[in-house]
Amino acid sequence: MIDFLKTFINTIAAPEWFVSLAIVVFFVALFWEKLWTPKPALYVLGAAVAFFTVSLLDPNFRSIVTKADNVPIVAMLFLVGFFIWLSMSQAYENDRRIGRGEKPMEASEPVSKVLVWPDLVYTEFICLILFTVLLIVWSIFLKAPLEQPANPGDSPNPSKAPWYFLGLQEMLVYYDPWLAGVVFPSLIVVGLMAIPFIDKNKKGSGYYTFRERKVEITIFLFGFVILWILLIATGTFLRGPNWNFFGPYEFWDVGKLPPLVNINLSEYFWVKWLNTGLPKGWLLREAPGFIVVLLYLLTLPPLLARTLLRKYYEKLGPERYAVMVILLLSMGALPVKMYLRWLFNLKYIIAIPEYFFNI
Amino acid sequence: MDLKELLDPKKLLSYVRGTQVYKSAFRHGMPENVRNRALVVLSNVFLHLHPSRVRTSGIRLKYTWCMGGLSFFIFLVEVITGLLLMFYYRPTVEYAYVDIIDLGEQVPLGIMRELHRWGAHAMVITVWLHMLRVFMTGSYKPPREFNWVIGVLLLVLTLLLSFTGYLLPWDQLAIWAITVGSNMARATPFLGHEGPGASLLALGGVNLVHSGSDVRFALLGGRFVGAGALLRFYVLHCVAIPFVATILMSIHFWRIRKDGGISGPM
Amino acid sequence: MTEKDPREPAAGGSPAGPEKSTAGTSPAPGQAAKPAASASRRGFLSWLVLAWIAFTAAMTAGLTALTRFLFPNVLFEPPSTFKAGPPSEYGIGIVDERWKERFGVWIVRDEEGLYALSTTCTHLGCTPNWLSADEKFKCPCHGSGFYKTGINFEGPAPRPLERYRILLAEDGQVLVDKSRKFQWEKGQWEDPESLLKA
Repeated sequence: MIDFLKTFINTIAAPEWFVSLAIVVFFVALFWEKLWTPKPALYVLGAAVAFFTVSLLDPNFRSIVTKADNVPIVAMLFLVGFFIWLSMSQAYENDRRIGRGEKPMEASEPVSKVLVWPDLVYTEFICLILFTVLLIVWSIFLKAPLEQPANPGDSPNPSKAPWYFLGLQEMLVYYDPWLAGVVFPSLIVVGLMAIPFIDKNKKGSGYYTFRERKVEITIFLFGFVILWILLIATGTFLRGPNWNFFGPYEFWDVGKLPPLVNINLSEYFWVKWLNTGLPKGWLLREAPGFIVVLLYLLTLPPLLARTLLRKYYEKLGPERYAVMVILLLSMGALPVKMYLRWLFNLKYIIAIPEYFFNI
Repeated sequence: MDLKELLDPKKLLSYVRGTQVYKSAFRHGMPENVRNRALVVLSNVFLHLHPSRVRTSGIRLKYTWCMGGLSFFIFLVEVITGLLLMFYYRPTVEYAYVDIIDLGEQVPLGIMRELHRWGAHAMVITVWLHMLRVFMTGSYKPPREFNWVIGVLLLVLTLLLSFTGYLLPWDQLAIWAITVGSNMARATPFLGHEGPGASLLALGGVNLVHSGSDVRFALLGGRFVGAGALLRFYVLHCVAIPFVATILMSIHFWRIRKDGGISGPM
Repeated sequence: MTEKDPREPAAGGSPAGPEKSTAGTSPAPGQAAKPAASASRRGFLSWLVLAWIAFTAAMTAGLTALTRFLFPNVLFEPPSTFKAGPPSEYGIGIVDERWKERFGVWIVRDEEGLYALSTTCTHLGCTPNWLSADEKFKCPCHGSGFYKTGINFEGPAPRPLERYRILLAEDGQVLVDKSRKFQWEKGQWEDPESLLKA
């Protein structure tokens, strides 16, 4: 029975299943109001803790999760879950209040202003003391990792970036470094900075609410939870030797070598579909790829402006809409390429290694 | 006044409060009434980060999570523990690794490195959660757009601080994480020697951007992660990035006050 | 400025002052509209523009110099050439790992001859491992795989491993020169110095 469960979990930990499942759970949960009340949250927490405790009995699971540097990531998963629940439960509470024609909780305090001394200063003081205690206990019981002295000739297997960059490292499997390591991170930073200038929704300023900001919150949480936190968890717990995927109960076998032969779009197009050889010049060879990329970046924005995002186009005006839609499409490019890789072994849409230009 | 009176705590306290030294430092009475409580905050350079009064929502932990305050506090913890670590650590290929071992084994209170490292991990998490809270309450909306931008920059600096610190123990974990991380810079369009467009920047057949002149070289001070990289990361970690972060934090806190205080329903 | 002070209307202004006053070119009604005055105002403006251009140029030059400071003239790196014993030490079809740790090179011999493969993965610069059972180089960082020839066939690596210049030294030993590399995608593996026929 246990073995069957373990095999089952190992199987659905394969990325195409695991990420798809996470996306479905994400959307269902977000719009399922009942979930954001104390009782179901306690059930979910209980289930998560139970899953964790029982899994710790498995030696493979234990060896990965209890690695000193991985402990904060486990803590982070629980913290992120808790705080998303905390914000969403207050958001739904406020939505109900607004639905009844009342003001949100934050605006209906009996006293509108309080003295900083003692109320705020002491709250902060207590937070800091509690945190200090936590940090000291943590430092006493968990030694900071130190491996063998640096040796440039010998890459450990697997070699991982610092944990907060594992999302980027995961991205690097699907896109080339100039995109995944430079362009996309820059776009993440610029995109985050652009949020207040793109979001023209005047409602929901300074209080938790979901109904008044459904789209904004959904997009932000999708990026934060699925494309950042989930990828970090994947990179930490599911990526083993040779950067292969391993289920949570699977032994990290250095010898596991699933075939990973990937094929470029140009090969698909010229060799597999047209049965001609690859053209010599790169311009003609990569023409199908260029067409696909240009379709994605140039045709989708006006199309979306007329259909799905019409409301936003009208509200934001052409400039703001253009910025928003380009950021959105770049964000969407990651899951698109991930699925193309998993389902069709697609390597590059455009591949011009001569100029280091691969997409 | 005779000795006996000094033994009575109440009298001692009122004596201390009457001295010129005490009065020169604290120009108000004990915070027992509204006026003095406001004065405490207004006349103290550290406390006056706060206004004297805030919205009630601003003191609700359920609302603010105290994540911004915690992030700042952890930054201070990192500064202090980092300063202490600098007394023992030498950023050279020869000494770095052994100094780290000594820090754990030859120095009393051998958890200083742990405090620094786990504090850094915690800071990354608190900064993310702070961003999550600010987003979920819509607190980046006008008039706080600019402060959100500063906040994003501070988030990036937090990650860079942690990243530069990752190399300093000079173990396998360190150099390979930095090798992977810095190799991305190699692929920067036009500025990295393996980035798209780099081969277009050439004068008379000589490439201007090669492995000895690209952005990765500037970061590492060499073609690979070696002595130069260790020293550069050390300086960035201990001086340059904290300096910039301090300036941005000052702006961040100042703008909270100027943009309407701790967030709350507008 | 050579004259006394002909820019009455804009007097006392910040650098932005005079510029603003030129927006309305008609002289202020109270002032005697001396042609000389407006001419020298224009003179002042062009000086101002010149000054700003000079300032910007100086700043750019300064920044360039500062950037240059990050690139030292002398690099203390290990020598780029090394001798790797006589060719007879290398068996056909065998990947020699002796030089991997010290010099970052694999020397491989196939039916045609010897070639020196760089041990730097073309994806993000990790060092792949030679898996003799599977006859391939596998990078532990992101799973790139390369055939014995250095050609990439799986994982994210965008191009094959690089080869170094390899030749026979006067004393009959194999000499590897890492300062010159040959990239397959540029057709450089055709170069006679990328393969030691022996």
